[in-house]
Amino acid sequence: MSISRRRFLGWLGAAGVGTTVGRSAHAAGNTHFTGHPDSLGVLFDVTRCIGCRKCEEACNKVNELPAPPKPFGDLAVLERRRRTDAKTYTVVNRYENVPGARGPLYRKIQCNHCLEPACASACFVRAFAKNPNGAVTYDESVCVGCRYCMIACPFEIPTYEYDKAFTPRIMKCTFCHPRLIKGQLPGCVEICPAEALTFGQRRNLLRIARERIGLFPDRYIDHIYGETEMGGTAWLTISGVPFRDLGMREDLGTTPAPELTKGALSVVPVVASMWPVLLTGVYAISQRRDKIAREEKTAAVAEAVAKAQAEAKAKLTETMAKAEKDKKAAIDREVKKALEEAAKAKAQESAAAPTAAAEKKPS
Amino acid sequence: MTKARSLFNRTGRILTLAALMLAFAILSVQGSAPSAPAGDDSGMPRADIIRIDGLQQFGRLERPAVVYLHEKHTQALSKKNKDCATCHLPDKKYMSTKFKRLKDSSKKEVMDIYHDNCTPCHRETAAAGEKSGPVVCTGCHQEREVASSWKEIGLDKSLHSRHVKAQENKCEACHHQFDPVAKKLVYVKGKEDNCRYCHLSQTVDNVISLRLTAHTQCIDCHRKRLAENKDAGPVFCGGCHDAGLQAKIQKLKDIPRLMRGQPDVTIIQTVKSGGEKVEPFARMSVVPFNHIGHETYSSSCRSCHHSSMDACGKCHTLQGSKEGKFVKLQTAMHRVGAQASCMGCHDRFLSDKRCAGCHASMPRRDPPDLAGCVSCHMPKPAAATPETEPKVMAAMLLEARQPVTATYADEDVPETVEIKALSKQYEAVKLPHRKIVQTLVKNIKDSKLAANFHRDPGTVCQGCHHNSPVAKKPPACASCHGQPFDGRNLFRPGLQAAYHLQCMECHKDMGIEKPSATNCAGCHKEKL
Repeated sequence: MSISRRRFLGWLGAAGVGTTVGRSAHAAGNTHFTGHPDSLGVLFDVTRCIGCRKCEEACNKVNELPAPPKPFGDLAVLERRRRTDAKTYTVVNRYENVPGARGPLYRKIQCNHCLEPACASACFVRAFAKNPNGAVTYDESVCVGCRYCMIACPFEIPTYEYDKAFTPRIMKCTFCHPRLIKGQLPGCVEICPAEALTFGQRRNLLRIARERIGLFPDRYIDHIYGETEMGGTAWLTISGVPFRDLGMREDLGTTPAPELTKGALSVVPVVASMWPVLLTGVYAISQRRDKIAREEKTAAVAEAVAKAQAEAKAKLTETMAKAEKDKKAAIDREVKKALEEAAKAKAQESAAAPTAAAEKKPS
Repeated sequence: MTKARSLFNRTGRILTLAALMLAFAILSVQGSAPSAPAGDDSGMPRADIIRIDGLQQFGRLERPAVVYLHEKHTQALSKKNKDCATCHLPDKKYMSTKFKRLKDSSKKEVMDIYHDNCTPCHRETAAAGEKSGPVVCTGCHQEREVASSWKEIGLDKSLHSRHVKAQENKCEACHHQFDPVAKKLVYVKGKEDNCRYCHLSQTVDNVISLRLTAHTQCIDCHRKRLAENKDAGPVFCGGCHDAGLQAKIQKLKDIPRLMRGQPDVTIIQTVKSGGEKVEPFARMSVVPFNHIGHETYSSSCRSCHHSSMDACGKCHTLQGSKEGKFVKLQTAMHRVGAQASCMGCHDRFLSDKRCAGCHASMPRRDPPDLAGCVSCHMPKPAAATPETEPKVMAAMLLEARQPVTATYADEDVPETVEIKALSKQYEAVKLPHRKIVQTLVKNIKDSKLAANFHRDPGTVCQGCHHNSPVAKKPPACASCHGQPFDGRNLFRPGLQAAYHLQCMECHKDMGIEKPSATNCAGCHKEKL
């Protein structure tokens, strides 16, 4: 069935109306979300980190991860820029010769536990959950291994167990969720000798960060990384040098990841539920219109045929009548002609008869 | 075995060959380095870069401004025995700093002066077979980046003193004032000011800019002295403005005190906005000021007297005045970060390694720590009467305030402090407490500034025993610091972090590299 321009536009219009209706209904039900009340977090102070890798060691231990090839006491590992992998939830990297710094600087990398996590919003089986305590946790039992979370995360944190053929999992820092539930500190926080990691309620951490920046304005950059980045993260960072110099993205904006995809994703239920009805309706209407048109066409054709037939008949009748008339006229004319000729002959005959009689008489 | 040996042999040979080649490569690179062309276009930073963009005053430039290297031209001219007058016309008193003209008449004229004078000279020089400048438009009019070594120069006390000597104490040779009645420049003895007070960065009305002043008056004098075969200052750009040459300017060891009617000691006079002086002690304890002492710490009067030779309080009144740009006396004296304020200057010394160990971790509060007020603000001496002159009062107060870095007697300072906080994992740490105190005191012993602020024997202790009253037996760290992340003491680190931050930060700030922060065993002996 070919689609006419008009019909295509009709469908498009219907789909458009359906989408806008769905969106405004969704927006009306949404409010500004600033994180779960009293949720926990960690403030990482770059100026305090001494790069001892104790946090890496504690993380490895409490999460029962496989032992690394080199021991944690080996600080030569810091010479290479590393990232989290399936066997490492957190790494510390060293940054040498940063302008404005007196010596090498260190940055701890782990899941930042976003207030509105991109990984969770990208996961269509809801394998990720933002817990009210702040931790973003992962449920391997429902994971289908699509790794959308890895693409979604702006901090490149979730990693995948590529070496497992049958039961690969997404691996990332859990904020020591099981320990938090038991009232224990996260492994890394507990071991940090210099309190470079401060643990507490996120709102208190923001106060602490502001206090430090306020008391030592020369020592800190006046920004708390994670307060607003991607809508805010549970883990916050303060630093004495620009965050980009520590390999931290400064282009993330303040919009939470789900907000960015909300528009498109909120349409999905509408499309799934309403579009079939709508499009079926549109289809039915167009079908009905087709049917009527067909019927009308048939009727018109029939009428036209009838009319033509009638006209032909009339014409025939007329022609025939005319022919009859002509015929009659011709007959009449012929009859008349014959009669005239007969009369003429009769007259001639009658004139010749006396003569013949006369001629016959002498004889 | 034989095989293995031959393998070693071969590897050894290959390695030796490789090493030789590497050595040769390095040598050849090093050998070629000195033969790099040196000279004018060597890319060395220069102090004589002039951007000829004067036509800007007549509107947008049609072509890129000319980057003109002044010394390149003076050198070329001196080879031909030509002097400044080749390019610069004589003005009323001094030679004009403009090229071949006295004033900028019109765009066309100024442009023509350059084009009609530069190009022919370049052409003639080239015709004579010498190295010459461009003769086509883009040769001069092009965007060029030339590394600059230009540095502002000022007359510090040493240089001023050398000028005084050269001028045979004739201050009027340079210093003058405008007499509004006679409408001319006159010299008034005892009213000598810094050039910059009147000659600002831009020419205002009849007062020419500092730049123009220096490039006419200074250079004119230097040239005259050169002509007379006398010891003279520089006449070319780099002599004054090249950072390297500037550092080589001879410094006098003993600089005679510059006298301009200043007191030896005085009290900081507070003045109300109307000009009415506030009686000393009418409101606050007064601040005696050792003027003669401070003169030796600063390279020029301008360090404090930034806009006039008057007393601070004249412009910076109690409530602020227009002359003082509404900066109140309080702000003018206390603002940390300001160039000329008392605390601004004192604060800069705190980044010194000897001070930073304690002071870097002390927040700069505004208003400042009130306990420190008495270091400067002093109570009325018993002998003072209402008739006591400010100078005498100041002398009395300063007499009572002998700068001595005080500390407790050795026996009152514990020799070692045992820290057993991590005793489960490590042996107790024996902190060499007395040695630390002695080192801190020794470091600042010779500083009069430090001595003035560490007069109380407990002050040095406050470097570590902070946030508690000064005492011979201050509270132990564990009195305040305990479990970390205590919601009731949000801003207080736990005990472990308190120790580590205190020790590590101080070591870092003082430049003490050993033991490194990551070397646990450097302080904590492993438990056997």
